[in-house]
Amino acid sequence: MSEHTHHDHDHPHAEISQSERPGFYDIMETAIRELLIEKKLFGADEIRHQIELLDSRTPALGAKVVARAWIDPAFKSRLLANGRTACEELGISFYDDTQLIVLENTEKVHNLIVCTLCSCYPRPVLGLPPDWYKLKPYRSRAVTEPRAVLTEFGTHIPDDVEVRVSDSTAMVRYLVLPMRPKGTDSYDEEQLAALITRDAMIGVIPVSLQTGRTAQ
Amino acid sequence: MSKSVQSLATGLVYALGEKPIFKPGDAIRILDRSPIGHYRVPIYLRGKVGKVETVIEPVAVDNEEEGFGRNAGSRRHYYRVAVPMSEIWPDYVGSPRDGLYIEVYETWLEKIAG
Amino acid sequence: MTQTEKLVKRLPNDIGGLPGDPIQRIEHELEPWEKRCHALADVLDYHKIINTEEKRCGVEALGAEMVGKLSYYERWIVAFANILFRKGILTPTELALKTKEIEARWAHEHPDGHEHR
Repeated sequence: MSEHTHHDHDHPHAEISQSERPGFYDIMETAIRELLIEKKLFGADEIRHQIELLDSRTPALGAKVVARAWIDPAFKSRLLANGRTACEELGISFYDDTQLIVLENTEKVHNLIVCTLCSCYPRPVLGLPPDWYKLKPYRSRAVTEPRAVLTEFGTHIPDDVEVRVSDSTAMVRYLVLPMRPKGTDSYDEEQLAALITRDAMIGVIPVSLQTGRTAQ
Repeated sequence: MSKSVQSLATGLVYALGEKPIFKPGDAIRILDRSPIGHYRVPIYLRGKVGKVETVIEPVAVDNEEEGFGRNAGSRRHYYRVAVPMSEIWPDYVGSPRDGLYIEVYETWLEKIAG
Repeated sequence: MTQTEKLVKRLPNDIGGLPGDPIQRIEHELEPWEKRCHALADVLDYHKIINTEEKRCGVEALGAEMVGKLSYYERWIVAFANILFRKGILTPTELALKTKEIEARWAHEHPDGHEHR
């Protein structure tokens, strides 16, 4: 271990990563970014700002939208007619210029979303997708055997319920509006939102009283 | 529509692609062609028959052209199309009502009888 | 149809309907460089330097082996390099020299450091 006599720091000496050189792709990213900034194609502040933007987009936003739709039928109606403008009513901007179609789960229809070709995902309202959504097993099988895939998430859809799989390819993104669980009549909007998980808005699990947003 | 608005609209010519060719409920086939290099219609859906569910507005650039940097020029509609799972997979396990929904650009669709 | 014809006709990302393994609910907190890479993609899109569809096309053009072996953001950053070269915005030599500069800068700041495994 090197001697730390020339500067102060409060991290423990066991942090090996501090003296491990950034990886090949990490350096590539830095090199490309620095070159483009030197060439004045954009400013360093724009990258920093975009990182802050990305950090601010989490499933909590989607949960707000769903909870509002559950308690306000007129909002729900507007949401189903135009997902993007309804989200914008709640201050959720669509920085990536996509549109949003909200898919309502009912007693008769269960929706789930996938992007077989890449990783299209409603990022403005849910943040960044989990790895499993972007990897081969989910992308290849959600469109061939959605019910088996749902079972792997612990979700069993009866045969009399229609399963609809939406595969994103262009500028529309999808958000599933899950069914409101029974026993929540007395819940306020905040309490409802705390129940609604990212995976419920992808459509792979339902919203239940047992799982909150701490258990994705 | 009031008479004055009607008279404003007569004789109006639209840009190519500005008006949708298909409408909700139309029976369509996703065309079967094999582009190389770039495409946004997955192979598993080529040649499959389905129905138009929604006409997506507004008109937009063809994303298969956009991939090569051509993001201006003629715009057409995307359509959200419904294809029964049983139409795609002969051995599909599930409900006969289960369906696959996907956005397809107008240049990839043709109307069929039905 | 020959084997190579199939390879050319099916883009490496077109995997809907192909056989797949059981789903493992993997997720990871993005590494700082991955988040910067995502931010870079968005900023390049805003400035119309590389739009989202060009990025997708660039990832596809990496070919089946790289698409299979590189991770998600690794594919993005290599695709960006290739697209920027093609557009004449950067040259491979510029990128190689800047890379050496960054490596040297790091080595100077971390005299006892070691290579990334």
